[in-house]
Amino acid sequence: MRTRVEAVLRTGGSIGGAVISPVARRVNGAAVATLDALLDSRLAGDVVERVAASPLVTRALRGALEGPLVEALARDLVRYQVADRLLSEGLVEQTTQRMLEGAELERVVDAALASPTVERLIGSAIESRLLDETVARLLDSDDLWLLVEEIARSPAVTEAITRQSVGFADQVADGVRARSRSADAWVEQRARRVLRRRPAPPPDAGAP
Amino acid sequence: MSLAANRAAAVARPAEAADAATAPFTYVGIVTRAIAFAVDGALIQFVALVVAATFALILSVVSLGDDLKTVMAAVGGVAYVVWLVGYFVVFWTASGQTPGNRLLEIRVCRAADGAPPAPGAAVLRFAGLILAALPLFLGFLPILTDDRRRGVHDMLAGTVVVVVPPRPPPPRMR
Repeated sequence: MRTRVEAVLRTGGSIGGAVISPVARRVNGAAVATLDALLDSRLAGDVVERVAASPLVTRALRGALEGPLVEALARDLVRYQVADRLLSEGLVEQTTQRMLEGAELERVVDAALASPTVERLIGSAIESRLLDETVARLLDSDDLWLLVEEIARSPAVTEAITRQSVGFADQVADGVRARSRSADAWVEQRARRVLRRRPAPPPDAGAP
Repeated sequence: MSLAANRAAAVARPAEAADAATAPFTYVGIVTRAIAFAVDGALIQFVALVVAATFALILSVVSLGDDLKTVMAAVGGVAYVVWLVGYFVVFWTASGQTPGNRLLEIRVCRAADGAPPAPGAAVLRFAGLILAALPLFLGFLPILTDDRRRGVHDMLAGTVVVVVPPRPPPPRMR
């Protein structure tokens, strides 16, 4: 009995499926086409815009963020290794490139430099042991002395030293000349006084 | 400054030099001349020492007879005198300035026209220099009393020692 019922049911299901399937497929196709048409329509766009601009969405988002959604999202981000996948797609490089090319970096740096906090941090860094250790390490490094040697050997530095030396020699020579002329006048004055001669005429009074 | 103005300034420079040559002289006194002479003396002796040391080194390696060494010494002495006389005569005749004079910015020139002395006058002046120095440098005392600050050697050669006026800087090209 049971077997016969099962057989009847199986037969009936097969017949029904054979009859109903084409109809169901047609109904499904029509429904999908209707949905596509609806989504492409202007009405759907207007509806979405209104919903998005409505306070309802804002309240919904706020409620979602205030709730456990954020923690759940963070756990899923970790579970599904979202950060690894983004990084492997070059997200960091793209972001860095964008920041370097944009004006935002300059604004950020300007704001940081103008900030009193940064000024205090720099002051603290200078006063801390960090600077002393940095200087000590620099002095111990060979690269620093190589750099100093290169600078000392550079044509600009040697030229400046030569100019200074020549300038100094000129200064010394000028000094010697001035003093010798004064000595000339002094010795001559004394000699004329001793020999009871009239005072000498001004040195530049002579003509050829 | 325009190109025409620069050219005009370049033409004016020789005229300024000519004016300087005939302008009233500033005669140089004994101290300045002594310093200039000391510088020249140092230079002369330095060169002579270097040359003498070189020859001495050569002779120390090359073994020569005593007679030849005597001849070499005599030749060296004559060479020194030639060097000494030549140094002063050449510089006085060429520009009136030895290196020592250049350092002190003074020059020897003819009293008549301010030009450098002729070679004969320069040799005469050098001889007068030796004569002035012989009697305990008394020949230089007239420098202190003469109105043109001339020594015996200057009077013999007809020269004076004057200050070289500073050169004006060249005009800047723009």
